[in-house]
Order: sequence, then C-alpha cells, then structure tokens
Amino acid sequence: MLGRIASFFKDDHRYVFLGTSAFALVGLWLAMQPRTPSSFLAQSYALEVVLYYLLVAWLVLSAVALVNKLIKWRDYGTSSPFVRESLRRMVRIASYVMWAIVCVFIVDRLGMGLVDLVRTSTQASSNPTDFLSSTVYMLSKSSSIFATGIITTIELATFGTIIAFFLALLMVFLRIQEIDRSDNDFIRFLKTVGSGFAKLYSTVIRGTPMMIQGMIIYFAGFGVLRGTGMSVSEIGAIWSTFVAGLVTISLNSTAYMMEVLRGGIEAVDSGQTEAARSLGLSQWQAMMKVVFPQGVKNAVPALSNELVINIKDSSVLSVIGVFDLMFATTTVAGIYFKQSEIYVVAAVCYLILTMTATWLLNKLSRRLTGAAPRTLPSSN
Amino acid sequence: MEELQQTVSQQDQLRETTQQTQAGETTQQTQAGETTQQTQAGETTQQTQANTPDAQPSHDNQAAEPLIRIENLRKSFGDLEVLKDINFEVMPGEVVSIIGASGSGKSTLLRCINLLEVPDSGHVWFHGSDLAGERTNVNELRESIGMVFQSFNLFNNKNVLDNCTLAPVTLKKCSKAEAEERGRRHLTAVGLADFIDAPATSLSGGQKQRVAIARALCMEPEIMLFDEPTSALDPEIVGEVLNVMRDLAAEGMTMVVVTHEMEFARSVSDRVVFMDAGVIAEQGSPEDIFGNPREPRTREFLARYLGE
Ligand SMILES: Nc1ncnc2c1ncn2[C@@H]1O[C@H](COP(=O)(O)OP(=O)(O)O)[C@@H](O)[C@H]1O
Ligand SMILES: [Mg+2]
Repeated sequence: MLGRIASFFKDDHRYVFLGTSAFALVGLWLAMQPRTPSSFLAQSYALEVVLYYLLVAWLVLSAVALVNKLIKWRDYGTSSPFVRESLRRMVRIASYVMWAIVCVFIVDRLGMGLVDLVRTSTQASSNPTDFLSSTVYMLSKSSSIFATGIITTIELATFGTIIAFFLALLMVFLRIQEIDRSDNDFIRFLKTVGSGFAKLYSTVIRGTPMMIQGMIIYFAGFGVLRGTGMSVSEIGAIWSTFVAGLVTISLNSTAYMMEVLRGGIEAVDSGQTEAARSLGLSQWQAMMKVVFPQGVKNAVPALSNELVINIKDSSVLSVIGVFDLMFATTTVAGIYFKQSEIYVVAAVCYLILTMTATWLLNKLSRRLTGAAPRTLPSSN
Repeated sequence: MEELQQTVSQQDQLRETTQQTQAGETTQQTQAGETTQQTQAGETTQQTQANTPDAQPSHDNQAAEPLIRIENLRKSFGDLEVLKDINFEVMPGEVVSIIGASGSGKSTLLRCINLLEVPDSGHVWFHGSDLAGERTNVNELRESIGMVFQSFNLFNNKNVLDNCTLAPVTLKKCSKAEAEERGRRHLTAVGLADFIDAPATSLSGGQKQRVAIARALCMEPEIMLFDEPTSALDPEIVGEVLNVMRDLAAEGMTMVVVTHEMEFARSVSDRVVFMDAGVIAEQGSPEDIFGNPREPRTREFLARYLGE
C-alpha cells in the first residue's frame, strides 16, 4: 500500500494538466460556495484568496500548455518546453500542490458543512425539511432503535447461518444416501425414507417464500403452546418473535445450504469412493472418511455466501414482528412519517453489513481453502 | 538367472500349496512341460500347473485351488455387452497380464473381480464365496483384494501416510501404531520414505501411483489388481512404477495386471490374456502369446502395438 502511494508520487503522469485542471475546477466551484459557520478559511480571508488564484494560475498554465500542444502538434515531443525534464518535474510538483489546495477547499466547505449540518439538525426542535438534515435529525433521535435493529439482524443472520450449516450437514447426509448392495432391507428402508424426506424438505422450503414460512412457524408455534394452556405472556417469554424468526431463517437456510453441500459432494471424483471401497471400506465409511470432508471443503466458498444472503433476507422476518433492521426502519419511518430518507439509511446499513460480511468471509475462506468465494451473491 | 527365479517362485507357490493341502497329501506340479520334483519336510510333492497355451486351467486334475475363479461372467452397460460369458482363473502366486485394445472390456473384467462393477450374471469365486452373490459380504472380501487405478485415486484430503493407514485403522485390522509401522515399511519399499508427511495432492504421478500401491499393500491383500497403472504417467517415469510391480511379483504376490506395457507383460507375467470385444480371445504363456500367437486378431493387435 505504502509502496503503491510512493510510486504514484514518483511516476510521471500523462494527464497531469487535464486531470489536475478538472480537479482545480471543482476547487474553484467549492471556493465560490458560501462559507458555513465553522469554516476555518473564514478566519483568514487572505489565504483563501491566494489559494483561489493559485488554482486560477494552474488553469491558465494548462491553457498555455494546450495551445502550445495544438500549435506544435507535429514536433511537440522534440521542441516543446513542456517536455523538458526539469519543467515536467516542476509541473508535477505544482500539480500536487493544486490537489492539496482543492482538498483544503473540500474539507472547509463540504467537511465543515457536514459538521454544521449535523450540529444544527441534531439540536433542531422539529424535523427539518431538507433531505440530509432530516435524515441526520431522525437518525440522531432514533439511533437506539437502529442499533437494536442492526444487532438483531446480525444475530439472526449469524446464528441462523451457523445453525443452518449444521442442520444442512445432517440433511445432505440423508439426501445423498444411496442403496448399496450389501444393505439389508431395514437399511434400505431408512435410506429411502431419509433421502426422500430431505428431497421433499428442500423442494418445499425452496419453493415457498420465507415470509410465509415465518408466519406459519410463528403462529403454529404460538398455537401449539396455547394448546398446552399457557398464557400469552408465558408464551411470549419462550416463543418470542426473535426465536421464531431464528427458527425460520435457520430452517430456510438449511435447504439452500444442503443443495450447496450436495453440489460440493457430487463434485468429488468418483475415483475417491472407488479407491476407498476397493480397500474394503463400507459405503458409510468411504462417505465419512473420504468423500464428505472433501465435499464440504469444496462447498465452503459458496456456503459462506449464505451469510450475506441471510443478512438481506432476514428483512422479511419483520412481518412477524422480529425487531430487526427492517422493523426498526419501518418503525422510525412511521414515527416521522418520512419514508424515502429512512429507507435510504436502511439500504446503506444493509450494504455496509453485507460488504463487511463479504470481506470477513473472503479472509476466512482464503485461509480455509485458499480460494476466494464469488463476491456478489444473488438472493435466494 | 530367470530360470532360477522361476524355480524360486515355484518354491514359494509350493510352500503355499503345502500349507493349503493336508499334511501327508501328495501334490503334483508340472510347469510348461518341465517337471520339478521337490522334497519338502520329508514329503514328495509334485505340482501341476496347467498354464500350457491351449489348456484352460482345469481344476479337477489339480490340487491347488485357484484364488479367483470367474464363471460365465456377463456384463452390459445398457445395450452394450461389454463382457460376454467370461471364464477365467487366477492361481495363487500367479502373475496374469491382460492385454487388448481399449474398449475391449479389460477394466470392466478387473472391476468385476472386486465388484466395483456388479456383473449381470455369473460367479466370481474367492475363498469359497461368490462375490457376485446377493448376500455376500463384499466389503470383507475386498479387504483381501488390493486394487491400483489408472488415475491413482489417492485420498486428496489426507497426507501420504494417512492414505496408507486409513483403511487398516478404520477397519480395525490393527492398531494405529502398527498401521503406521506398516505404512512406513511399504512406503520405504516403494522408495517414498521421505514423503510420509507430504499431502497426497503434492506428489508427482509416479509418486502417487507408488503410494497407491503401498496403500493397497497395507491391507495385506492376497491378490493385487492393476488397471493400467502406468497409462497416466509420463514415459520417463513409467519405469519407477513398473519396478515396484516387478519387485512385488518377485515376492510371490498374486497379480492381475491390465497393461499396455508389452515388455512388462512379456518379462513378468506367468500368463498373458488377450481380450477382444468382451471375450478372452486367447491366453497362454508370454512366450506363446508374443512369440507364436494362434489367433489372427491377437497377431493383428500385437503387430499394431509392437510395430510402433
Ligand atoms: N460405467 C460405464 N457406463 C457405460 N459404459 C461403460 C462404462 N464403463 C465402461 N463402459 C464401456 O464399456 C466398454 C469397455 O470398457 P472398459 O472395460 O473400460 O474397456 P478397456 O478397459 O478394455 O479399455 C467401453 O466401450 C466403455 O465405453
Ligand atoms: Mg480400461
């Protein structure tokens, strides 16, 4: 990283004039914007004027260079003063100065402007009308609601994925059972039933919306507990919406992870099984010792995508009242009756969560298998 | 020199034969017209080995039981009849090479011996059990039948030593310590003592195949099946695998080898089987098959192979 920055400063850049001029124009535009109360350049007007005219001077120099280039189009490379080594170096150093000046303007106008905006909108007594101020106002007033929502979403996705992984290991085991010659009738029966169950499970779960699964699980669980004579508050203590949501996301993710695992296991070369069987290992032993470990390893990159998918898809669980990020967003939107601001905030939060998860999983998965997963998982 | 080796391996065979037959019994042995008289432990023994070119080993005038006896074996894949009524025997200590064009059913025949392919009909007798039988415990019988594959098939999730110890330990053939001792011994014998801790995936083809042989030997099999063990190897390293197999044959291991290495088949085998289109077209001693083949299709095949 440091090396890359160093080489950037040492390298000769072809578009010094063009690139820096474009950036200088941005600086000029910013300089013409009104100063905000906490602007530090407001205290030294002279400095600001100097910086402003330095940018203008750069633009003039660039214009001269452009004209020079247009006039000496044919022999520019040999006769122009701008290609001389010493002048080139000076121009490059000057360009760095320009970038620094523009950065100063950015901090002064945009950075300090944002500070002021945050300060005024958090201290406002009512919801401001413009988009940014309003968003900041609502965020500051309801930060604890958002925090609860974000934590719940992380918990749902993380625990759900982990539970689903172990359930999927069990389910895929049932799913891939095949009748072997040496199996007796009882084993054959068990294998047929187990494999059939896993197939049915996968079909049903993957073929229905998780939102409806959540509804069914929550209300069915509620109904069953009600049937045992418990009161509503007693039920709420053990069958909370969070627990129901966690069960839903785990059971849902199990089906998808099972398919991913099955893909990984089927990708293991059949020669591995044959070698194990030729040594006398039973089908079960060959599966446990040789095929399964390799299949799971194959599936790790694709499996880790499930976490990212669960972060996003857990949002549908807000319909049963799980206090996740989506629920928090809806709640806050309801309080202030401002939808677009709050949902943009929610989108940004989900994006940060999924990008963080992807980054962490990339690191983990590279350590486990030496291969990186695909970066943009699609939704279930 | 070769004759001496033959005599040595005959003695090995003889020892086994004597162990199998009841004490005090008399056995006869004739090999390729030459009769060897042997006195052992005060008994007179004669051994008959009927691997003369035309005679199928017929076991009624034979005291030594074949280790493997295949009867009327048939196998089809869909409409394709790959094995058409195969009858085939392997005697203890015998090295049999199976040659033939690709697609002639050699691999399928070999894989039927340890039931990696399930025959459509017929019998595969091994120690009085029919491997092809509905109720046979195939797993247990496979422990005594080692197999080496063209594509090595080392366990990719294990290192070299664990490849060797996995089966003996899992099947409780011996303690872990003893399995490791066995593994080390066999790996040293194939010249891979230095690679014991290497991941299986890190080896070269020739090394992998030698590990595969050591892995099979760790189960202490009575017979070894080789399915084109050198076909996936670069020509310059074929030799290192063939040498290991030569040593194994010299130690008296019973071997069935599907191979395109004609020089190996000629010098190491006791019997060569030529397969063509799902049948055993001709079998006999290497001298006869390579020197004086009777079937035109054998001649044609060999001309194509040795001509190159
Ligand atoms: N599992 C299988 N399914 C379908 N056809 C097969 C299968 N295994 C082998 N065959 C076919 O059977 C024939 C004989 O194959 P094989 O025994 O491998 O021949 P060889 O080893 O002599 O080359 C070939 O035509 C091959 O395509
Ligand atoms: Mg083959």
